[in-house]
Amino acid sequence: MSETYDFLFKFLVIGSAGTGKSCLLHQFIENKFKQDSNHTIGVEFGSRVVNVGGKTVKLQIWDTAGQERFRSVTRSYYRGAAGALLVYDITSRETYNALTNWLTDARTLASPNIAIILCGNKKDLDADREVTFLEASRFAQENDLMFLETSALTGENVEEGFLKCARTILNKIDSGELDPERMGSGIQYGDASLRQLRQPRGTTTQNKQHCSC
Amino acid sequence: MMERAMEQLNVQLSRLTRSLRRARTVELPEDNETAVYTLMPMVMADQHRSVSELLLNSKFDVNYAFGRVKRSLLHIAANCGSVECLVLLLKRGANPNYQDISGCTPLHLAARNGQKKCMGKLLEYNADVNICNNEGLTALKYDYFLVSLLLCDSKLNNFGVWTKQNIMLQTVLCLLDSGADINRPNVSGATPLYFACSHGQRDTAQILLSRGAKYLADKNGITPLDLCVQGGYGETCEILIQHHGRLFQTLIQMTQNDEIKESMLRQVLEHVSQQSDGHYPRILTSLAEVATTNGHKLLSLSSSFDAQMKSLLRIVRIFCHVFCLGPSSPNSGNDMCYNGNKTPRSQVFKPLELLWHSLDEWLVLISTELDRNRKNPSSSSSGSEIASLLLKQCEATDNSGSAPKIPSLMDPQIVIETEVYADGEDVISMTANRLSAVIQAFYMCCSCQMPQGMTSPRFIEFVCKHDNVLKCFVTRNPRIIFNHFHFLLECPELMSRFMHIIKGQPFKDRCEWFYEHLLAGQPDSDMVHRPVNENDILLIHRDSIFRSSCEMVSKSTNEKLKQGIAVRFHGEEGMGQGVVREWFDILSNEIINPDYALFTQSADGTTFQPNSNSSVNPDHLNYFRFAGQILGLALYHRQLVNIYFTRSFYKHILGIPVSYQDVSSIDPEYAKNLQWILDNDISDLGLELTFSVETDVFGAMEEVPLKPGGTSILVTQDNKAEYVQLVTELRMTRAIQPQINAFLQGFHTFIPPSLIQLFDEYELELLLSGMPEIDVQDWVRNTEYTSGYDTQEPIIQWFWEVVKSLTQEERVLLLQFVTGSSRVPHGGFAFLMGGSGLQKFTVAAVAFTSNLLPTSSTCINMLKLPEYPSQEVLRDRLLVALHCGSYGYTMA
Repeated sequence: MSETYDFLFKFLVIGSAGTGKSCLLHQFIENKFKQDSNHTIGVEFGSRVVNVGGKTVKLQIWDTAGQERFRSVTRSYYRGAAGALLVYDITSRETYNALTNWLTDARTLASPNIAIILCGNKKDLDADREVTFLEASRFAQENDLMFLETSALTGENVEEGFLKCARTILNKIDSGELDPERMGSGIQYGDASLRQLRQPRGTTTQNKQHCSC
Repeated sequence: MMERAMEQLNVQLSRLTRSLRRARTVELPEDNETAVYTLMPMVMADQHRSVSELLLNSKFDVNYAFGRVKRSLLHIAANCGSVECLVLLLKRGANPNYQDISGCTPLHLAARNGQKKCMGKLLEYNADVNICNNEGLTALKYDYFLVSLLLCDSKLNNFGVWTKQNIMLQTVLCLLDSGADINRPNVSGATPLYFACSHGQRDTAQILLSRGAKYLADKNGITPLDLCVQGGYGETCEILIQHHGRLFQTLIQMTQNDEIKESMLRQVLEHVSQQSDGHYPRILTSLAEVATTNGHKLLSLSSSFDAQMKSLLRIVRIFCHVFCLGPSSPNSGNDMCYNGNKTPRSQVFKPLELLWHSLDEWLVLISTELDRNRKNPSSSSSGSEIASLLLKQCEATDNSGSAPKIPSLMDPQIVIETEVYADGEDVISMTANRLSAVIQAFYMCCSCQMPQGMTSPRFIEFVCKHDNVLKCFVTRNPRIIFNHFHFLLECPELMSRFMHIIKGQPFKDRCEWFYEHLLAGQPDSDMVHRPVNENDILLIHRDSIFRSSCEMVSKSTNEKLKQGIAVRFHGEEGMGQGVVREWFDILSNEIINPDYALFTQSADGTTFQPNSNSSVNPDHLNYFRFAGQILGLALYHRQLVNIYFTRSFYKHILGIPVSYQDVSSIDPEYAKNLQWILDNDISDLGLELTFSVETDVFGAMEEVPLKPGGTSILVTQDNKAEYVQLVTELRMTRAIQPQINAFLQGFHTFIPPSLIQLFDEYELELLLSGMPEIDVQDWVRNTEYTSGYDTQEPIIQWFWEVVKSLTQEERVLLLQFVTGSSRVPHGGFAFLMGGSGLQKFTVAAVAFTSNLLPTSSTCINMLKLPEYPSQEVLRDRLLVALHCGSYGYTMA
């Protein structure tokens, strides 16, 4: 039967070509490194159910192509995303420099309050590093992003990246900052949320009376 | 008399032996009280044979109540679960509702002791579930689950839904009033709510839910909602959703589950959508969201094409159905409440816009890739090179053992993910099928907002915008047309863009497509044995078959005739497909009966076309319309008719212009003359032809201009082609235009013109009249040979061996290729007609040069067969000629 979950979040993985977006997703879903990965064509899709703060959340992840020629296609997937992993390659300053563009795209096309985590990928290649941790974390702070350095090869911080982003969204729901019922929020209730469901007005009180017996 | 006596003796003897063996008498004591104590132990042990024997011929009152509590034997049987005895007693008239001293009926006792089978039987014999015993309890109080299980029992199906519902409701109320656990599951984890849902018992579900029944799945994870949807119980679903709001999303998500029957789910969603103003837009918006996610997944290359495509199309189909129902209250038609805001009905399509946007961007991307390839032709290699390259890649990925998970698709090229650099070619082949499926969904959504028969301007604009990409898709993989581009059949304006590609596809595929689309609107086209309403039977008189058929058909409606035809001949019993076939056969033969003057024979006598003088019959146009209806109806129901028309008339049905060669079917001599004019330089011949013809109209000659002022325009070498075309049209079309129009009017009531276009005139003949049987032996016997060939020549032996090995369809093609007709004349090949009288099938030798194909002269039925060096070459060349050259004559 179908898996049960409390929420479903729509996630994006964005960033320049060759930064390891598909490998991050693969590591997150399959728990292993994707050898001989090719350039993504268009947009790929993956999903996994995770447990965040006592809630089960299904992450529906859209892994976009980084190549310029797919840009207009990938942009059409942005709308209604609740969270995003913005990925650059710590061994390539070029991919770091492109971050501003990606960020603008995400905030204008997806939603201004999309939860974004910045991922400096290929942490395992520290010897070839072109972007320092400090520099990137300052960028993250200035742009109101969460930040992690990850390695799709070793799996370091990959899970954390996705979970951290999911947790932020859950907090926003709890605080009322995000309304899952709103169309295009990128969030849906799952059927597991039945257990603590909010019944339609009118029937709630009646139910309580009878439940006590 | 003797036998009777013997028989009685035997009976007595056997009674005696039995009595001796069992050590008791087999007769029941006269007095009830003694008898009942004799029977009671037998009933308890369910010795029904003994009981049956004893009761036979006895005067025992089966309802005799005995003992302290005044029970009947039926009580005993019910109490002990003696089913056989119970049935026996019931059959002998035991009262199922007899109450003992405490007011209990047998049903009470059976229920108290969990005697499931006994309860079933008692219910079958109308035991009253509502009788209360002295404690005020009905039998159902005792065991709810046994009752509900009983209800599932197919044996109780004769109870009807209402009774079941009532029993269930009674049970549940009793149960609840006595303070039982409302959520107590049975062994497999099924709760009362579960049972209520599995039978769509709305009222019961309502009571259970309003008294706080929990929504629990059984041990296999099957939920009450699953059960409701499986059974298509919209009302029960609605109640579940009322009480558990979250189930709404679950219900929507179910559209992605291909194990659920689409029709049932649709039924449920349609019902729920009509329950309140809010539900309609909410269901549609949610469906649109699910469809969008699905569509995006479909456009992800690593997803399973087949599963995602089916899922997307299913959701969109359901979406369109629900949309077309409209909101529940019509006054809120155009601006209704959604999230409290007044928004138009079309608002529900909004989530899908994301998908259409992606689709558009994808097509634009592919268009750019195409342009890039075109500008840079050096990078695009020839087809075979690409194929071998891809094969190598395929091997490489297989060997590496870590091939990425890629679904198997129709086109092997799509399966291959490119190494390192994704070339434009690959992007196209990998996405073509996926994008086409999304286009199909887009069309469905566009057209469900349009009135019937109109094409959405937005969709037309879309196709025009992406014309080059779509053409590229179908050229690479023509299957896409049949699988996804159904819109072409509904939009003639778009069809013409793809016609040349479609015509190039195998006849069989086009046929399937034709019928798939033709019957798409019929609700139960898959039902073979449809119950026939007596009023819908066409009652035909054999002695006036034409007139009575015409009357019956005009009395019926087109819709009814589409649903199915039932024919009965007056004074005959027979009905069914066989009679329908016979009716089409003899009726079609009657249509060409010369007495009606509707059709005339062609020159070779095997085919027919409308008679230009049919107006001698004052009602002729009505009859032509009727003939068109019959032909259309036959085609609609895949029935064959017994008429073969001239090539030119098939062209008229298809709306294809006729050519001068077609004239030969009505006037071969004249056709030769036209041919001669075309073949020779007429400048210096002094023919003095003008653009006019003299026609015989009932004895009087009239000069008819071929075009305005034609009588004074001379035919010259320069304009002779126009002259031939005009004269052809006059002879073939203009003379019978009213007849053709009337015929088509009838034909098109069943077969839309856009659909019939899929075929050419040869295929139309095949569809209407079927594949003719060709007797090869007869063919061989009636063939002549010229210019060097004779029966002994090896090449002739080869030729017949090849003919024998051909399929029936290919033999027809060969016959068509040589004679111009797919028909063998009545009486066989001996009666094959040529331009001037009998003309046997002839094979003539032609000197062989490489790649030379066989040719033919249809007017003299001659096959010009080059002297091929081997049978293989002969076979190969012949097939090439048949498959490519059966139309488009070049005069040799």
